[in-house]
Amino acid sequence: MHSLIQLSIVVLLLPLLSFVILIFFNRRLPRRGDFIGVGILGTAFAISAYIFWSVIVQTYDPAFRIAWDFTWIDLGNVPGVGPLKIKMGVVIDNLTAIMLAMVTLISLLVHLYSTGYMAGDKNYGRYFAFLGIFTFSMLGIVLSDNLFSIYIFWELVGLSSYLLIGFFFEKQSAADAQKKAFLANRVGDIGMWLGILILYSQFHTFSFEQIYANLAAGKFTLSNAWLTAAGILLFMGCVGKSAQFPLHIWLPDAMEGPTPVSALIHAATMVAAGVYFVARIFVVLTPDALHVIAFIGAFTAFMAATIAITQNDIKRVLAYSTVSQLGYMVLGLGVGAYSAALFHLVTHAFFKACLFLGSGAIIHAMHHEQDMRWMGGLRKHMPWTFATFTLATLALAGLPLTSGFMSKDAILAGAIGFAQVEGGGVYYLIPVLGFFSAMLTAFYMGRQIWLVFFGESRTHLKPVDNHHSDHHAHGAADEQHGVHEVHEVSWNMRAPLVILAVLSVFIVYSPNPLDGAEGWFMKMIKTPATVVGPANHNSSGALIQASSAPLMAEAQPAAGAHSATDSPAESAGEHASVKGGEHTFADPRQAEIAHASHGAHFTAIYISSIMVVLGISMAFVVYVFKIIDPEKTAQAIRPLYLFSLNKWYWDEIYQATFIKGSIVISKILSWFDTNVVDGIVNGVALVVKKFAFANNSFDKYVVDGLVNFTAFSVNTTGAVLRKLQTGKVQTYVVMLLLAVFGYFVFYFTRLIY
Amino acid sequence: MLSLIVFLPIIAGLVILAVPSSQKQIIRIVSLLAALAQGVLAVLIWRGYDPSLPGITAGPGGSPLGSFQFVEKIPWISLQLGGFGSLNIEYFLGVDGISVTMVILTALVSAIGVLSSWTIQKQVKGYFILYNLLATAMMGCFVALDFFLFYVFWELMLLPMYFLIGIWGGPNREYAAIKFFLYTLFGSVFMLLVMIGLYFSVIDPVTGNHTFSLVAMANQANYIKGAILGPDNVMWRYVAFSVLFVGFAIKVPMFPFHTWLPDAHVEAPTPISVILAGVLLKLGTYGMMRINFPLFPEVFHASLYVIGIFGAINIIYGAFCALAQQDLKKMVAYSSISHMGYVLLGLAAGNSEGMVGALYQMFNHGTITAMLFLLVGVIYDRAHTRQIDKFGGLASYMPVYAAFVTVAWFASLGLPGLSGFISEALVFVGAFSSVTTRYIAMVSVLGIVFGAAYLLWSLQRMFLGQRKPDAAYDLVVGDDGHEHIHFHDWKGKIDLDGRELVMLVPLVVITIFLGIYPMPVLGMLTTSINKLVQVLSPLAMR
Repeated sequence: MHSLIQLSIVVLLLPLLSFVILIFFNRRLPRRGDFIGVGILGTAFAISAYIFWSVIVQTYDPAFRIAWDFTWIDLGNVPGVGPLKIKMGVVIDNLTAIMLAMVTLISLLVHLYSTGYMAGDKNYGRYFAFLGIFTFSMLGIVLSDNLFSIYIFWELVGLSSYLLIGFFFEKQSAADAQKKAFLANRVGDIGMWLGILILYSQFHTFSFEQIYANLAAGKFTLSNAWLTAAGILLFMGCVGKSAQFPLHIWLPDAMEGPTPVSALIHAATMVAAGVYFVARIFVVLTPDALHVIAFIGAFTAFMAATIAITQNDIKRVLAYSTVSQLGYMVLGLGVGAYSAALFHLVTHAFFKACLFLGSGAIIHAMHHEQDMRWMGGLRKHMPWTFATFTLATLALAGLPLTSGFMSKDAILAGAIGFAQVEGGGVYYLIPVLGFFSAMLTAFYMGRQIWLVFFGESRTHLKPVDNHHSDHHAHGAADEQHGVHEVHEVSWNMRAPLVILAVLSVFIVYSPNPLDGAEGWFMKMIKTPATVVGPANHNSSGALIQASSAPLMAEAQPAAGAHSATDSPAESAGEHASVKGGEHTFADPRQAEIAHASHGAHFTAIYISSIMVVLGISMAFVVYVFKIIDPEKTAQAIRPLYLFSLNKWYWDEIYQATFIKGSIVISKILSWFDTNVVDGIVNGVALVVKKFAFANNSFDKYVVDGLVNFTAFSVNTTGAVLRKLQTGKVQTYVVMLLLAVFGYFVFYFTRLIY
Repeated sequence: MLSLIVFLPIIAGLVILAVPSSQKQIIRIVSLLAALAQGVLAVLIWRGYDPSLPGITAGPGGSPLGSFQFVEKIPWISLQLGGFGSLNIEYFLGVDGISVTMVILTALVSAIGVLSSWTIQKQVKGYFILYNLLATAMMGCFVALDFFLFYVFWELMLLPMYFLIGIWGGPNREYAAIKFFLYTLFGSVFMLLVMIGLYFSVIDPVTGNHTFSLVAMANQANYIKGAILGPDNVMWRYVAFSVLFVGFAIKVPMFPFHTWLPDAHVEAPTPISVILAGVLLKLGTYGMMRINFPLFPEVFHASLYVIGIFGAINIIYGAFCALAQQDLKKMVAYSSISHMGYVLLGLAAGNSEGMVGALYQMFNHGTITAMLFLLVGVIYDRAHTRQIDKFGGLASYMPVYAAFVTVAWFASLGLPGLSGFISEALVFVGAFSSVTTRYIAMVSVLGIVFGAAYLLWSLQRMFLGQRKPDAAYDLVVGDDGHEHIHFHDWKGKIDLDGRELVMLVPLVVITIFLGIYPMPVLGMLTTSINKLVQVLSPLAMR
């Protein structure tokens, strides 16, 4: 076993250890054992950082991959298949190494932050235990080398999410939200499970590598439609977990959980697991499946952004922003901008975690006030929070010099390239929705910053007795604060903000603030070659070069980017400066999109910058200069405003259809069960009983009646005959004579006739 | 060994007979000792079991010894019937991978049932005698390899069960007991006819006589051409398969023969519910795997689709009915119907993955449902109601209980890391891999969502949120200033007490352990299942 594998297993198991210790012993430990959680996560992060260092910095090889597996279930010598084993295993490649470091870092920071935020909660120890099991499951997803174990950890992540959303379970809304989250995820999961089953039923293995090898060898015997279906079904897992339309409804409600949990699970890591999973299965996705994914991503990005602009709850704005950004990532994968999407996953994880933790700091300082309408002016009281929050906001909005700018631009460039290759038309909807969402993002984040940090405090404007009972679980913590005194949070909550804000700066990822492709991330994460496309392995290379030569000619001087083919002549001549980043596509479609995306790089930068500036200026116009009154505008376009405020009415629609429908069906079936099925049983019993009674009557009156009648008739006859037994000889003589006479009469009658 | 594990409880029952009925504690302890001894024997059998022997059919030379283990085989009844030849019934016990799994489950659930019976106060002596009789009959069913002997044990189960529900049950107990009794009897009448038919159709290759041996019957070569159930008598073989199937399906219970189950569960006392759901239901599917399918493999093969559809109906119909229940115990009863549907679906897959999943699901459902019924019993003891809407917010006041309920509920909804997941997953893997049941499996996955729906919904209504205004308990402020829960006329511990923990902890440990590392159980059964699949496969048929 490779030493890195051993270390990664240690990293995986450490948070589980934290869970086990804390769930059983937290009440016996000083400080409820929070130091154990933080300490264990610190260790896990240190080891992950070492793995990251070895893999990314020292090895620096895009093709790096080590794997290890063991037999988990041995089904023996199965008839018709042969020896069959279900294996579990760990894989470490560049993506894993990056994700490991990211997850453990954010988890560590959230642990640290929570020691401040959750202080005084009555279930403080249990909270850290739940964080432990979440981190364990998330790392499991990251490390899995097969579909089965990824599904296992997938559901475990759902469980930890369930437990943490409902952490304040005394609140009805929290209990509703946790149930909703679990069920929405399960709907996605059954799709994912069916997708896994399609692939398993063909190859009798769950391992990514073996499935890909078998697919590439053309061993898939079902029709291509099944393969597309498998891709879309697997993607359903992502739709659930990454809150894509139509299963996005659970994520905003998940904000009922403690805010650090929102940062860790519902912004940075768990929801990104869906995107990570799609990246893992990227090579089995057929072009048709990719199109579905791209459109769902684009639509989600747009829809969530339109909802975010009218929400008043600070966390809900961020929640819809998360949905929107996840839409970007999904869109990126759908259009084939694989590394860009994953790049955005990582950058988004850091700046969104920063935003959530920042909002947590605000909520903490405001005594659990979450409504932005009653905030304002916090800039002076909370300078650290303000600075970090703003930096992260800039990254989210996608302003230059931030990490978000590079990753979002790379996705949008990919979208443009994709639309060009696919032949325009309806496919241009994808980049258009993407750019429009970028504008909306800039707008709602500008609005948020202004409402929260600038202007004067509006606390006094709040209507009395609105929803003060929320978060009553924090009662003890509340009392420690003054009544209306807002102050900066303590160091253990501030440090994570600073670290995360620093990680939102471009230089961490790329030396060139305008091009993420020059950074280590996009060089280490390369789009894998598809195993399902119309592969034409031998001749395609030349073909692509011919068809894409003009595109490349434009792209190269402008972008200075590297080519996507490694035609020896070209690479050696023009791209000598690019090291180790060369990449081959056997699939012509992939290659073409990659070329077109490079060409679109600057176009994307221009358009998205314009959009962002537009968005921000609009926020300024409305909220800073107050040229447009938001209230009046809302009144003017009231239907649209309500449509956005009520989240496109998805909750109501689902409530009226699926939920009501299920309950009605269950009532009908239950009625059917008691009255029809059981009714028949009881009816049969009744019929048998009736028959038995009838039988009884028959027995009593007919059978027994016959018996009694016989007895009766014998009796009566006897009584009659007894009268004849007189004992007198004369009587007998008379009877004898009568008999003789009778005989003669009979005899002569016979003679006559 | 097997005779001992079968008859230990009945010996305990005889001992109890001699104990005066006022000595309740002694009666209980004798039962517990018998159950524990049974457990020890089960562990010995488990340790001594050689997983490389296949079972199902006879080993080399037609002897069961090379195939089955712990075999005990002596002539029992031998009658000369003149023109009909001789009637040979054997006392024939033995285990293979299928039955050894169930033997271990039975020993485990019986022991937990004894502990759970500790609170029975009414006619303790009679109760435990019947309970021990039941334990013997159940164990006997799983180890009998002679059809006649199996039938004796099968019928023997009915008597104690009838009285245990009918005397110690809830308000509507007589109705439930009679329904259970008649329903099962209805199934077994046909079984008797098929059994006799089989006897005259099968020849033991070693002795040349007719035989009731299931081992001989499982080999199609032993059937006589031209006999009533001989290989050429297609129609009667279909009829025999069908009536046998119905007989076992009633026990499973399969839609539409399931309505006795909710009634029996609602009326039965907690330990009897545990036994009923934990072991008795498995006898139905065990009977299918041991008798119904291997004896009529070609009919089984023709019926895969039908069995699969009934499995899917059980899964989805059971889940929907569970969603509508107000009585927690009834909800758990319907969840049993739903979960036994997975077993049927796995069997219908007809391949190793599905069958392994089905058998593993039988084991896991036994442990998980035992847990569910015990937990329902805990709250019923305290609150004297099981109405889901009569609670709310219990998690704040009974945290340990809530934790156990959470684990059990999640085990039941098939959370990975807990044993139920692996069996459900294998069932789906198998059902989807089989071309026949592929689309049925695609529909059945809905059960995963609705299973989660009814369990999480009940969890929320009972344990989360706040106390409902009309709840079955009161809140009182204790000396420490915190609110405490108070049940009317409940003097014991509010949260789980020691005895309840002793029952629940082993089950939770097993559920978690087998969810993470299933091989201790799967390792025993895979060889036999693979053999069974081979026996059932169309290639193996003539």
